Amino acid sequence: MTALLDIRGLTIDIARDGGPARVVDGIDLAIQQGESVGIVGESGCGKSLTMLSLVGLLPNRIRATGGSAMFGGRDLLKLGPKELRKVRGSEIGFIFQDPMTSLNPVIRVGDQIAEALIWQKGLAKEAAQARAVELLELVGIPGPAERARAWPHELSGGMRQRVMIAMGLAGHPRLLIADEPTTALDVTIQAQIVDLVRELKDKMQMAVVWITHDLALIAGLADRIAVLYAGTVVEDAPVSAIFERPTHPYTRGLLASLPTLAGAAMERLPSIGGTPPEPGRRPPGCPFAPRCAHAVAACAEAVPRLAPVPGSDPRHRVACPVMTERAAA
Amino acid sequence: MTAIAEDDRPSSLWRDAWKRLRRNRLAVIGLFIIAILVIVAAFGPWMSPYDFLSQNLDARNQPPSGLHWLGTDDLGRDVLSRLIYGARTAFLVAVGVTVAAVLIGVVLGAIAGFYGGAFDRFVMWFTDMTMSVPQLLLVVVINASLKQPISLWMEARYMETLNPIWRNSAIIDFVLVFGSMALITWPPYARLVRAQVLSVRGRPYVTAARALGLTNRIILMRYVLPNAMGPLIVAVSAGLGTAMVLESAFSFLGVGVTPPTPSWGNMISDGLRVWTNYPHLLLAPAAVLAVVTVAFNFLGDGLNDALNPKGQK
Ligand SMILES: Nc1ncnc2c1ncn2[C@@H]1O[C@H](COP(=O)(O)OP(=O)(O)OP(=O)(O)O)[C@@H](O)[C@H]1O
Ligand SMILES: [Mg+2]
Repeated sequence: MTALLDIRGLTIDIARDGGPARVVDGIDLAIQQGESVGIVGESGCGKSLTMLSLVGLLPNRIRATGGSAMFGGRDLLKLGPKELRKVRGSEIGFIFQDPMTSLNPVIRVGDQIAEALIWQKGLAKEAAQARAVELLELVGIPGPAERARAWPHELSGGMRQRVMIAMGLAGHPRLLIADEPTTALDVTIQAQIVDLVRELKDKMQMAVVWITHDLALIAGLADRIAVLYAGTVVEDAPVSAIFERPTHPYTRGLLASLPTLAGAAMERLPSIGGTPPEPGRRPPGCPFAPRCAHAVAACAEAVPRLAPVPGSDPRHRVACPVMTERAAA
Repeated sequence: MTAIAEDDRPSSLWRDAWKRLRRNRLAVIGLFIIAILVIVAAFGPWMSPYDFLSQNLDARNQPPSGLHWLGTDDLGRDVLSRLIYGARTAFLVAVGVTVAAVLIGVVLGAIAGFYGGAFDRFVMWFTDMTMSVPQLLLVVVINASLKQPISLWMEARYMETLNPIWRNSAIIDFVLVFGSMALITWPPYARLVRAQVLSVRGRPYVTAARALGLTNRIILMRYVLPNAMGPLIVAVSAGLGTAMVLESAFSFLGVGVTPPTPSWGNMISDGLRVWTNYPHLLLAPAAVLAVVTVAFNFLGDGLNDALNPKGQK
């Protein structure tokens, strides 16, 4: 089966005065039809830029400089602005982090959804407005017909995020990319949003990419988890394998820093010392080596590639020869 | 500006702003004076005691009296009536010039700020150029070079159509005054709109709109411009006052509205010649102009405070 989205060797550079700085350094990631994939990693590791690059939304001075991203038989990285605009919304939907500022304050929420439908799908005004109300109902907004006439500031954060989801779904995309959609919300609301997306994913038969810092949050949503570090995928495995057999030292650090449910004190273990490399200042070899307790001399020489983990799920791959060897032993 | 960036709530924003504006005594006074100006400009012909043109050579340069509240000028015309008609000129010129200048400024500033690139650099260069040439010089040059061709063109239209409207020199006058003044007053509006558009286009809802596949044109018209207009309202209010002063200054220098159309500027300029003997001929129009200009500035300041409650000017 060909993947819905197949990213290979993606590199992204920031144009700086002293020359380009590489922020995404050869990402390989495939998303299957209808699959949900969690993407985790520290702040600044390139999660957002990777996803934005797919639909031509990279900020000024930042460009995808290499690799490919096959989607529906074409390479997204090679499409022109017009074609990319048609991909946005109708084939790949987005939900962003901050529901408080991601809605236009001067358009009523129903009209905001309706406008997307009018411009994307060429619906007539009445049809678009009726569809907007349906979408609001779909995302679990009570009294959708009245809410459609509300201004964004009249809704709570959780409600606004539901509106954002309705907008992301308006074009009936095959892939929904959610970039930390719950970070700005209360814990209870977070869980509701996760449940909603899981439900919608099945109903609308779309694939979901969910970017987060919170491994525990997406454990219940994702089929697979890709762990990013400094612009590369260091581990990619089904959720169960990630939790049962975390292999990359960085993944282990992330897991160890989750609050322990069993312990009386929900303490956070200070597991990973140091900071990730600055863009453009990555060390040769494995980017994690300077912070890694298991690093050997060879780690600083060659950039490790993703390889299957012996004895684990066949889809479990990790970019750490040291740990792969240990698993084989 | 920052307050608008932080508090992206339109209806309550405007409601709160209106409440704050109403509490600002100076702004309310300004608004009141402007309201009077608008009424006088609209209903002047029914309010003025005399016709602004009717001369009474037996009653020249009269001081204020029961018959002529503000006296008469050197041709025996009633000063109050001329002031009332002058309100019309002042208002028309201020609104016409400001509308034209704002249109130019919004179109150029919005496109430059939103799309950036070579057009942006060109617009900024053009703005700097326009602002660096002395205003008066520019107006004189535009006036001098356009008056002749426009008159000829209108005469030709008259010969074609025999419609007397093409012989109405007041039209040439206004077109020239509006046109040349708009051509020198648009740059600040363009700069302001460009700066606002630059800040708004980076907001999350603009990125979200892009992610929905909306076209640039729709994003600019529906997402960026409506959210970039707050500071422009303040600038327009102050700009209306400035345009009035400018019109008076140009009338004074002979490149404004031509007599006998009453304009506060040409009344001031006439009054200045005789002010040692008949101070009321200078004082009356000067005072009215000053009061109205101050009113616009009070309102502009009030709007500024009302729209930026955190108070950075
Ligand atoms: N507009 C920009 N201009 C300059 N550098 C940027 C810009 N956006 C991102 N970067 C840099 O690119 C790197 C990757 O950014 P990205 O937003 O993809 O990180 P992220 O993994 O999404 O982080 P977070 O979890 O904080 O959202 C960061 O180091 C960041 O400093
Ligand atoms: Mg991010």
